[in-house]
Formats: sequence, C-alpha cells, structure tokens
Amino acid sequence: MSSRAKSTAALSSTPRGAPSDSVLELRGLTKSFGETQIIRGVDLTVKRYQRHGLIGPNGAGKSTLFNLISGQYVPTSGEIRLNGEPIAGLSPHVINRRGLSRSFQITNVFPRMSVAENLRTSIMGRHGHRLTVFRPVRSLKSVNDEVDEFIEKLRLGRRRNDLAGDLAYSEQRILEMGMSLATDPAVLILDEPTAGMSREEARYIVELIRQVTEERTLLVVEHDMSVVFTLCDQVSVLVYGVIIASGEPATVRADKKVQEAYLGEEVL
Amino acid sequence: MNKAPKIVLLLVGLAILTTLPIFLSPNLVNAVIKMMIAALFALAFTLAMGQAGMLSFGHAAYYGVGAFAALHLMRAVEMKLFFFPTPLIPLAGAAIGFLVGIVFGWLATQRIGVYFAMVTLALAELLFTLAPTWNSVFGGESGISTMRAPSWGLSFGHDIHVYYLTLAWFVISAWCMWAFTKTPLGRLALALRDNEHRARFLGFNTHVARTLIFAISCLFTGVAGALLAIANEATNYTIFSAQASANVVLQTFIGGAGTFFGPALGAATMTFFARVTSDLTRSWLLYQGLIFVLVMLFAPEGLGGIVSLHARKLRAAGLRHLVLPYLLCFVVALLLIAGVVFAVESIHVVMTDAYFAKRIAAKGAWVPYQLFGRSFEPLWPGTWAIPIALLSTGALLLPMARRLTASAWLVAIQESLPVAGAAAEATTRQEATA
Repeated sequence: MSSRAKSTAALSSTPRGAPSDSVLELRGLTKSFGETQIIRGVDLTVKRYQRHGLIGPNGAGKSTLFNLISGQYVPTSGEIRLNGEPIAGLSPHVINRRGLSRSFQITNVFPRMSVAENLRTSIMGRHGHRLTVFRPVRSLKSVNDEVDEFIEKLRLGRRRNDLAGDLAYSEQRILEMGMSLATDPAVLILDEPTAGMSREEARYIVELIRQVTEERTLLVVEHDMSVVFTLCDQVSVLVYGVIIASGEPATVRADKKVQEAYLGEEVL
Repeated sequence: MNKAPKIVLLLVGLAILTTLPIFLSPNLVNAVIKMMIAALFALAFTLAMGQAGMLSFGHAAYYGVGAFAALHLMRAVEMKLFFFPTPLIPLAGAAIGFLVGIVFGWLATQRIGVYFAMVTLALAELLFTLAPTWNSVFGGESGISTMRAPSWGLSFGHDIHVYYLTLAWFVISAWCMWAFTKTPLGRLALALRDNEHRARFLGFNTHVARTLIFAISCLFTGVAGALLAIANEATNYTIFSAQASANVVLQTFIGGAGTFFGPALGAATMTFFARVTSDLTRSWLLYQGLIFVLVMLFAPEGLGGIVSLHARKLRAAGLRHLVLPYLLCFVVALLLIAGVVFAVESIHVVMTDAYFAKRIAAKGAWVPYQLFGRSFEPLWPGTWAIPIALLSTGALLLPMARRLTASAWLVAIQESLPVAGAAAEATTRQEATA
C-alpha cells in the first residue's frame, strides 16, 4: 500500500502538537441555497484517529455539511482544512486523492459490476491506474491482491462474483463503505451507515466499522443514538446549521442545551 | 462460460472472412467491404455508447474527418509530395479522429445523458454545414477524390486488395477495442456508465476519463472513415449528415449494444440489407424502420442479445427442442413479411407518378399495375385478398408459434440446467482444492 506509506511519512514530518493533531478542521463554514442559509457558521475539529459522531435532528444540515466537506458543494464562506491544507471548493476527486473518502446515505455502488470489480475500481486509482489503457486489469497483481484482501476484510467472499445490484441491502451498504475505504483515506466520513438496517445488521456493521477504521479518523453521521454512543469517542451536535455542543459522549449527553434541542428524555 | 468454443468460433469466422472473396462476385466483395467498415464503425460507436453510456448522436463527425484525413494523405502521395504506404493510410484517420474526439469530447462530456447527445449532434451539424463552404479542406459540395497508390508490391487497383486491407484493419481494430474493455480505463468506462457520481468520490476525474474514452471511440471511428475513403477513393460533405450519425445508432441498437459483437453483427446485417433492398425497392427505408421498431419492441437486447441468450442459457442438447418451434416462427414471419411487402409495394406502385400518368391516359380508370413480374387489378378484391390472407394466416399462427416457443424454451432450459449446475459445482470444487 504505497499511498498508505506516503501518508504515514507525511504524518511524521509534521511536528507533533496541537495543529497536526487536528486532521479535519472546519472554521466559520456557511452554505446558503438562495436566501436560505443551511449551514450557519460551523466550527468543528476532528482529531487524528478519533471516531467522531455527528448528530442532530432532521434538517439540521448534516448531509449538507458532508457534501461540503467531500466537495459535492462549494461553501458560501469559511474554511475546511484537511491535514492543515485548505480543501474547501476543490473537486470531489481531488479531495479523495488528498485522503478523505465518504460513503453515501443511499446505496451508491456500481450495480452492474461484480463485487470484486466494484472494489477493484476503488483500489486501482490509488495504484496509478486511473487511465491505464495498455495493460489488462488481470495483470495488475498488487491491485488484485488488495481486492482479495478487502473482500476478506468485508466478509463478502461468497458474493465475490455477484453483481453489486443483486446484493442484499445491508451487503450493499457494506460494499459501499468498503469502496470508500478502498481508496485508503486518512479520514473516512460515513453518512448514516446503519440506516434502514435491522438491529442485528446494525450491530454487525458497527463492529465492522470499528475494525476497519483502526488507525483512521472517522466522522460519522448517525441517527441511532446507541450506535453513536458505543462507536464514537467524540460527539458533536448540529442544530439548524450550527454546532451547539462538542465533546465526549457523556459530557454531550449531560449538556442542557443538547437535551432541550434534540435528544429528549426518552432517548437518554 | 467455457473459453474454447468462443475461440473456435472466432477462428472459424476469421477463416470464412479470409477465404470469402474467392467465392464472391466483385459486387459482393465490395458489399462485404462495406459491411466490415460499417461493423467497425458500430463497434467504435459502442465503445462510447455501450461501455461508457455516452449516447452520441454525432459520430458521423469522426467518421467524416477520418475519411477526409485519409483522402488528403492519399492525394499528397498521388501528387508525389512524399511516400506513404497505402495500407497504413487508416493511421491518418485514427490520428485525426482521436484529436477531434479530444476537442469535441472535452466539450460534450461536460454534460451527460440527453444533453451530451444534443451537444454531439450540434457539433456534427456544425461540420455538416461548414464542410460544403470550406473548399480547401472538404472540397466544397462535390467533395474530394483521389486514387489508391500502389505500395508493398500491391497495386490496390482491385477490390480484392482493398478487401484484405479492410479485413486486416477490421480484425486489428476489433481486437484492440475488445482488449480495451479489459484495461483499467475500459473497466472504469463501465463504472462511469453505472454511476459516474460515485466514481468521482473514488478519486476519478470523470471528465478527463470520459473525454479519453470518447476520443478512443473516435479514434476507431476515424479508422472506419479512412477505410471507407480508401474503398471509395472519394467522399463529400454528406458523410457528416445527421442521417449517417443516426444510421450507426440504429444499427447498433438492432445489433444490441449489450454485447461486444452485437453492434458489428447489426451493422453488417443492416448494411447488407440496405444494399440488397435499395436495388429492389424504393420503400427500403420503410422496411429498415420497421425492423428497428420490431427489434426495439420484441427483442430490445438486439441480435447480439438473442445470440448470447442462447449461448448462455442453453447447451447444444437443449437446442434440438427449439428446431420445430423456430421453424414455425420462421414460417409465420415469412407469411407476415410477404403480406406487408405485398401491401406496401402495391400501394407504392399505385401512388407513383408513372401509374398516375397511365390512369390519365386511360381517362381515370384504375388500370392494372405491375408487381413481381405480374399484373394486378387494383380494384379487384382478389388482389387485396392476397395480403389479407397472408397477414391473417400469419396472425392466426402467431400465438401458437409463441406458445410453442415458450414451452420449448422451458424444456430446453431444464435440460441444460442440471448439467450446467454440475459444471459450476465442479469448478467451485476445483477452486477449493486449488
């Protein structure tokens, strides 16, 4: 994994300390659609190897925030820094190559390609085979080895040659997350990874997320509070386009403002 | 599926194409040349359409520039400016096709779907209107012409030489395009067709990738155009027409864009069909349109889809159940076709100016008309009973033919299944041990 090595090298070259510790930083971020301001000045710091949960009521702007971070939308104002470098307004593919990868709330795979091919497409770019035309994919040994590795890691071995569109919903979500992960990002952002799943499936995927995000930074939007509080070591609460609280799960849970705005008694 | 039968099939096809000119009249040799060129054009078009989901309505642009580039190079050779071997002339078409493809593709691939199609159409129309007024490049309305220069010990004065030149380029290009589908960019093309949005978030600059894929399609389209120029030794601005762009779309859909060789099959078939029928009747475009509509309605996967369905689902043993039902389908089809053709041709003859002149001469009487070497009375019910009888017999037999075919398919599939299942099991076991 060459780029993995590269990112570790970049990591050690920055001095240990406060600034290098924050991998993803949002400062005064706003986004308006016409007259409506959806994101109204968000400040957020995600530290290295943190599992950071982002919660908030419907319509708080969580998905918009994800779309801003991943390059789908251009911010109206404010800053987004990835490893200290500004990334606000860059194209999605550039942001991905800088080391931030996202998954989607809806299943977003290549439905008419096999599971192995979905992963291979996600992996080959990193090995410098984005536009290669003079070699067959079959001959790219390091890419194919990594595909096998990922299939095993995601426990999709039985589904290897099935079309992604034929997978069960939860399997598609796992594949989708696996594809984001396969670009070997330093920061992985997941948009409601357990949405629409049964308890059983949700528990399974949370465990999987925990395993595959070792030594990575994770930012996750999630509705299921039990998921957030078991998976994350840091939680931020977004309400009407601003972060109203950020801290360890227990602190956030106890926060009066949060209780008023969002959580409600029955959840806590 | 097993690889061996495919390779055998390919070799047989190649052997047939290689020996074919020995048995064919010069006129038919020329027909096969045109079929191969059309097939190559369709394959190149499908590279953008079927693989990457880019439906281009203006592929005649790249076909045309390929042809003009080849002609200019041939003219330069003819004027003894320099020497360039005739068999390598298509390289000029490839180069120009690729370059124009990069420029036009860069513009068109800014958009997807219908908007992409509209931009490609507009760019081709641009060339179509520009060409007749730009004399030095496109030779005005009459176009440009030249002669094939002898090279490599061949005169290129006979169609047979052109045939083998075309065949060689067809085989090489088809192989290249097939190999392309196995490369990382070729696989990415499929991903872009499936879900371009996702690819962007996996680190792919999809605009660059789509431009490149489009340009590669244009490269082979340019080769096809150059081969046409070599075969005809002339071309003019009509090569850029929307009709030419539409033709390749129709042929590709009739052939079936879902399979690799389907479009080639469709293009070859329809080119042959056009060549034969356009000599026989002026309604041939109507028949071509009818074929397109029928294929889209009843076999949207196209000819290639039908062939691959049989190859995938059935084993040789299962096929024998289908012989009789298919024979019945064939008879039904013949009856219906005969009925339609009789009606269409009769109406066509009666509507012509020539027939109208005869009627005036006969003081407005409905005089007999000539069709298929016979004379028919337009007002005699017996005349119209012929198509009605043909069509109604066909229509009566049609449900039966469909029912029989459907049940024969069930039997055939059942007979193919257990064996196929066992084979799959065997391979899994093999994998497990390996």
